Amino acid sequence: MMKNTAEFGKHLFLIVLGLLLLYPLILMLQMSVKNTEQIVYDFFGLSGPFHLENYARAWEEVSPMIWNSVVMAGGSAMISVFVSGLAGYGFGKLKFVGKEPLYWLIFAKMMLPGVLNLIPSFVLAWKLNLLNSYFAVILFAVGGAQPFWVFVMRTFVQGQPKELFESAKVDGAGEFRTFLFLAVPLLRPVLTLSALNVFINVWNDYIWPLVTIQSFDKRPITTGLAYLATTHVGEYGPLMAGYVIASVPLVILFSLGMRQFVQGLTGGAVKL
Amino acid sequence: MSALAAVTSKKKAARFVGYAFVLPAVLFTAIFDYFPMLDGIWHSFYRWNGNNIEIFVGLGNFKEILSDSVFWTSVRNMLFFLVCNIVLMLPTLVASIVLFRIKHSRWQYAYRVLMCIPMFIPGIVIMLLWQFLYNPQYGFLNQLLASWGLENLQQLWLGDPAMVKWCLVFIGFPWIGSIALLIYLAGLQNLDSSIWDAAAIDGASPLQRALSIEIPLLKGQFKLNLISVLAGAVTGYNLQLVVTNGGPGFSTTVPGLYMYQHAFGSVNADYGYASAVGLLLFLIALLISLLSMKFIRSEE
Repeated sequence: MMKNTAEFGKHLFLIVLGLLLLYPLILMLQMSVKNTEQIVYDFFGLSGPFHLENYARAWEEVSPMIWNSVVMAGGSAMISVFVSGLAGYGFGKLKFVGKEPLYWLIFAKMMLPGVLNLIPSFVLAWKLNLLNSYFAVILFAVGGAQPFWVFVMRTFVQGQPKELFESAKVDGAGEFRTFLFLAVPLLRPVLTLSALNVFINVWNDYIWPLVTIQSFDKRPITTGLAYLATTHVGEYGPLMAGYVIASVPLVILFSLGMRQFVQGLTGGAVKL
Repeated sequence: MSALAAVTSKKKAARFVGYAFVLPAVLFTAIFDYFPMLDGIWHSFYRWNGNNIEIFVGLGNFKEILSDSVFWTSVRNMLFFLVCNIVLMLPTLVASIVLFRIKHSRWQYAYRVLMCIPMFIPGIVIMLLWQFLYNPQYGFLNQLLASWGLENLQQLWLGDPAMVKWCLVFIGFPWIGSIALLIYLAGLQNLDSSIWDAAAIDGASPLQRALSIEIPLLKGQFKLNLISVLAGAVTGYNLQLVVTNGGPGFSTTVPGLYMYQHAFGSVNADYGYASAVGLLLFLIALLISLLSMKFIRSEE
């Protein structure tokens, strides 16, 4: 009996916690189908009519931003995975003069904080004529992702049995073929994790696109939503619908890659 | 000769293949990480607008920063958020222990997914949503007070300098960090199950068990999360930039935001001055990351 009460207490605690955690999101969902009048005079209630046209109205404004975010986050993820995968293979398996110093150059950046980079990076993007282009986000995101992911990829390549790569060499396969057809399939879980991580970081980034992407038609969802919130004051229903729409792509991405994400994360943390 | 020459030339080619593999990553890191960092350090000794003004001022920027009362206000604000964020690591720790003690594995999985849901929602959406919930006219909090007949307790929330800091801290409510939670759970799963049986036989109370078994064993994971909280509080300013832009007045300005505003927030932008602020933050964050390295080493 005593045991059951204790078990019940734990469940109660977690359910209440979960509800508190979700409550703001529930408010967001219910506001997204109400008009301003319903929000102001019946904040907590949800009596029809439901204004699904909020979503149509929000989609009009938000869909170009989603496209921009997908291009920037997707482009960064693909390039970054390719670049860090190649380097991981090169540092993990190949032999060449100066390998260690080059690796340490990349590795050391992992310890160096990035807070100082904002302003000089902005000036660099400006001088390279990248302002208001997707590449301002993509190139710097790929650069920022390298130190950590090169380190992870190298560790994984080193963890693979040597004989595997040797046998490919006997077959006469060139290094690039070995990389593409042997290493890439082996590294698939960590490549996926890396792509997800870079994608999410770019998707959520606010400050960098705020300073580099000023033209409205190139804006990603982060700065775009913040802009809409200041320019559409009073249109709370459509704004909330826009917030809901902007959350959907990550939900889809997570449901596809959740397992790998959680496993990779905890696997890394276990080693500490 | 031909066979030997072919082999050596092949070997030579193989030596260069390595560079082809690592070159893209080296270039990306050099151009987009190291160059801006060094450029920022260099220009923190200049007055600089990124273009035609570039005047060497020595330590002038640093003197000016350290004598600016707004900077010290921002440091005090940062310390406030820092202390709050450290204290508010506790709910996640407690939740992970309770979650781990759920015996039924399917329920445990369900709760874990539930606690991870906020991770799916972009941070900006949460911030903008709360900005609306704090709206003094239509927002959630004043509506809630009105519905309880407590109109006299209604507040300006984000407009009130005395209250705004607490409002920002409350945006995290109930302060469950999904990633930190997963890290704690991974740590707990690593433990030897015989420890639990021994504790159960001892008849220790749940709280005693937490204090004597789980919390000491999670020390490494706690340090790991503490480091990210420290680094985030010292250098981060996303929340303040989005929700209050440092206001009202300077009541939520933090050093990172102070840096941002000196570069991008005013007409007479000074990238040199802002870089000098950046360098100070860089050094503090570097110290934290070096200390953390030492901590993690000692853990092993």
